[in-house]
Amino acid sequence: MGNRIVSFDKKIMNHLKSFWYLILIFLIYLNCASTLFASEDLYPFHSSSDATRFSSLTKEIRCVVCQNQNLAESNAPLANDLRNKIYYMVLAKQSNSEIESYLVKRYGEFILLKPRFNITTFMLWIFPFAAILISLYRFYMLR
Amino acid sequence: MKKIFPFIILFALLTLLGRELLYANPNKFTTSLAGETVPNFQLNNILSEHQFFNHKDLIGQISLLNVWATWCYACKIEMPMLMEIKEKFHIPIFGIAYKDDPYDVKMWLQKFGDPYRLIGDDKNGNVAIDLGIYGTPETFVINAEGKIIYRHIGVLDRKTWETVLYPLIKKL
Repeated sequence: MGNRIVSFDKKIMNHLKSFWYLILIFLIYLNCASTLFASEDLYPFHSSSDATRFSSLTKEIRCVVCQNQNLAESNAPLANDLRNKIYYMVLAKQSNSEIESYLVKRYGEFILLKPRFNITTFMLWIFPFAAILISLYRFYMLR
Repeated sequence: MKKIFPFIILFALLTLLGRELLYANPNKFTTSLAGETVPNFQLNNILSEHQFFNHKDLIGQISLLNVWATWCYACKIEMPMLMEIKEKFHIPIFGIAYKDDPYDVKMWLQKFGDPYRLIGDDKNGNVAIDLGIYGTPETFVINAEGKIIYRHIGVLDRKTWETVLYPLIKKL
């Protein structure tokens, strides 16, 4: 009798386990599918290369009115407008550098999450390497 | 000298940090559009008999281009100053209603006064993006050739007008 109850409990537990696994798989699917389909519905492209370009651009461009968020993640109205602008520029076959220049001209170098190397940003790029080199040099000299 | 060197670097870095913390102006945004012609646009004119407001309307006089909205609280604060600029200083002000309802714009101007020569209806915010707008209100000083001379972000108050915008306009 006792064994029967134990095996019955095990069966229930196994069923529950598989039920939770199913729910988990369904939720993961739902999450992936919703983001995939949502972006496809909102921003349809004729070619996959344009879609990839749009996706990478929105990830590399900062939402200028948010705290450290890119355009792809942000729901701010301005981020939405900028996403739309980039979408139409990608559709019009403008190159990544043309799109970046358009945005930098209006919102400054700050809008790029990975700033370009130029006269205003060279300190930003060079300083860490220079600091490492100087410290290595000093470390070597002190020994 | 060797012993002092790290302290000199530390002092220089702290000076830079102090300067940014104490003296940097967070409202000061640079625009590379300064010195460039206003981007081409054509918007429906909300109020007067002109059907459209476009970039060509800005050519021929020194003017202000004010981007605003009825849903923007700060825009209400700067409205008396805009009325004064129109009536006392006789500088033409052009408006761009950013993501607004033309009916609300008409009601607003009836209530608070109309400082604008023309008001473009930028329903989807495209022209605002072309101008590099962060939010409302923003005001641009445009010269007679239709070029952007200065950009002011935020409420245009008396102090800004008397110390920055008006002296700049007088020089043009």
